[in-house]
Amino acid sequence: MKLVIIGNGIAGNQVAFDVRKKDKNAEIVILSAENVPEYDPCSLPYYLGGECRHADVFRRKPGDYAASSIDLVYDSQVLSIDPESKTVTTRTGENISYDTLVLAHGGDLFIPPIPGIDNQGVFSCKQLAETEKLAAHNGRSAVVIGSGAIGIEAAEALKRKGYAVYVIELMDWILPSLFDEATAGRLETELTGYGIHVFTKEKVIKIKGAGTVTAVVTNLRTIDCDTVVVATGVVPGTALARTAGIDTGRGIQVNRQLQTSVPDIYACGDCVETIDACTGETAMFQLKHNAIEQAQVVARNITGEPARYLGAYAFARAHFFSTHAATFGKTQRATDCILGDKRIIEREDGKNYLRVVLLNNQIVGGQAIGTFADGLGLLIGAMWRKDDIMEIAAKMRKTPKGGAVHSWPMLRLGNLLGF
Amino acid sequence: MIACSMKHHGRIDPGLSRVDVIRLTPQELDVPVICMACDIAPCIKVCPMNARIRQANGTVVTDADVCIGCRACVYICPVGSPKINPHTGKTMTCDMCQGETEPWCVAACRQEGALKMCTDGAISKNSARQAADRSRKTYPRK
Ligand SMILES: Cc1cc2nc3c(=O)[nH]c(=O)nc-3n(C[C@H](O)[C@H](O)[C@H](O)COP(=O)(O)OP(=O)(O)OC[C@H]3O[C@@H](n4cnc5c(N)ncnc54)[C@H](O)[C@@H]3O)c2cc1C
Ligand code: SF4
Repeated sequence: MKLVIIGNGIAGNQVAFDVRKKDKNAEIVILSAENVPEYDPCSLPYYLGGECRHADVFRRKPGDYAASSIDLVYDSQVLSIDPESKTVTTRTGENISYDTLVLAHGGDLFIPPIPGIDNQGVFSCKQLAETEKLAAHNGRSAVVIGSGAIGIEAAEALKRKGYAVYVIELMDWILPSLFDEATAGRLETELTGYGIHVFTKEKVIKIKGAGTVTAVVTNLRTIDCDTVVVATGVVPGTALARTAGIDTGRGIQVNRQLQTSVPDIYACGDCVETIDACTGETAMFQLKHNAIEQAQVVARNITGEPARYLGAYAFARAHFFSTHAATFGKTQRATDCILGDKRIIEREDGKNYLRVVLLNNQIVGGQAIGTFADGLGLLIGAMWRKDDIMEIAAKMRKTPKGGAVHSWPMLRLGNLLGF
Repeated sequence: MIACSMKHHGRIDPGLSRVDVIRLTPQELDVPVICMACDIAPCIKVCPMNARIRQANGTVVTDADVCIGCRACVYICPVGSPKINPHTGKTMTCDMCQGETEPWCVAACRQEGALKMCTDGAISKNSARQAADRSRKTYPRK
């Protein structure tokens, strides 16, 4: 069998090495648009901020591929797929045939159509090469466009490097898809406390500069700067699949075996559209743990072990300087369009904050800052089990002092929820 | 906890222990919290630095050289087991004292006998169920 994998990211590598473990004879080729072994995009902000070494971002060494007889081909961005003749064509003009193809080319940075965005001094931190350029850049004042997780991590990194940092967010509050206003507001206060300027409900209109960035103009102000970081989100890479006639929606569409509409072509990672493991709804979470789990399912199916993907889950942390927060499941805003009995449990203790989103007495999401976050895993467990929270509250009232081993998890959960 | 901090840090400091005992004040209950070394460990997958490493003895530990102390592993853990080293801000979890004949906490508790080292398969599903049944009889659910 000849297995060709498009993309040398988290998902692509997981497929390649998992298949190799089970099949010693398969011919495995990874086509990479970049020229380095697998690295972890999640580590990039910490390399940028000097919290880890350049070497620490890599998940594999160049020699690992040869040792597992995996052919990693650099600088081979795939431009087209022909499912009829089972070949792919790379940027270098090479045609490569396959028996089984895996699409693991992740997502693309969304570049908003802002005048001046191609000026020098405009960077991103999605890929290693871009991040290296930003790390080598000697600027003093940076504007980060977008306040998603990547934007906030980039802002922290640049602040650590001594930049004056401004974060611009179009939506009502920072980290808008991960946190509700009450949580995000507290995080914004923390960010501001570290000297990072945050402007929400503001739109970047243009990036000024004749060749090199000099300022960013929003609908409300002009900020002088020599550095701009674009962090306006990652969109799933669907163009390659779409032009090959593979079904796509917001991402590449797959069945529970993670096969695309063409049976010999599988897809996994940031490029696919999947379902939420808890609710069964369509999901586009684009997170590392989902990429790994999807790739494991693809590898099992390719090696003849039937495997069904159970779905993706939303879990993200927000961590900067000494602020620690995390979120899982749905935000309150995400439940706005769902019918049912909705309630919020809130707890506050100084800077520590907990917010749990309930739908019909079941936990569907939660956000926490500080010490409350340390028990977030208990809430995630309750969400998976679909625990009835009212029942837990009632049991908590009746539980005698002491308490048996089997009730420890429930007692911890009840205590966290303040019952 | 004293034995654990002695083993890993050479001093008596419960704050440096990898096994934790948390106090649930309303129930007047002390609950032990310890890394379960999950077979499919979520902490390994969510760590942005790939610092959570499975060791030869099956335990999962933090590589403190690369950990940035983001606490993702704490938040995703079903029991919240990774502990924060108060001096470095990095996480630490039980390694079953890899390399020793038995974990130090077990040795320290020999007299009381509350901790025992069980080998794979030593606890059958049946005996675990029986223990749970006993516990439920003592503290009925309703
Ligand atoms: C800065 C940053 C921080 C992040 N932090 C977190 C976090 O804390 N937690 C979390 O869960 N997730 C985080 N993520 C998201 C996480 O990195 C992704 O979900 C994960 O990398 C997805 O893996 P993937 O293999 O699908 O895609 P990627 O890892 O992006 O890999 C795709 C690969 O395909 C290559 N490629 C693209 N097109 C082609 C082509 N046509 N031909 C050949 N190769 C191609 C790319 O060069 C790339 O190497 C972060 C992402 C970034 C950018
Ligand atoms: S605290 Fe350290 S070990 Fe835990 S997820 Fe963060 S970097 Fe990884």
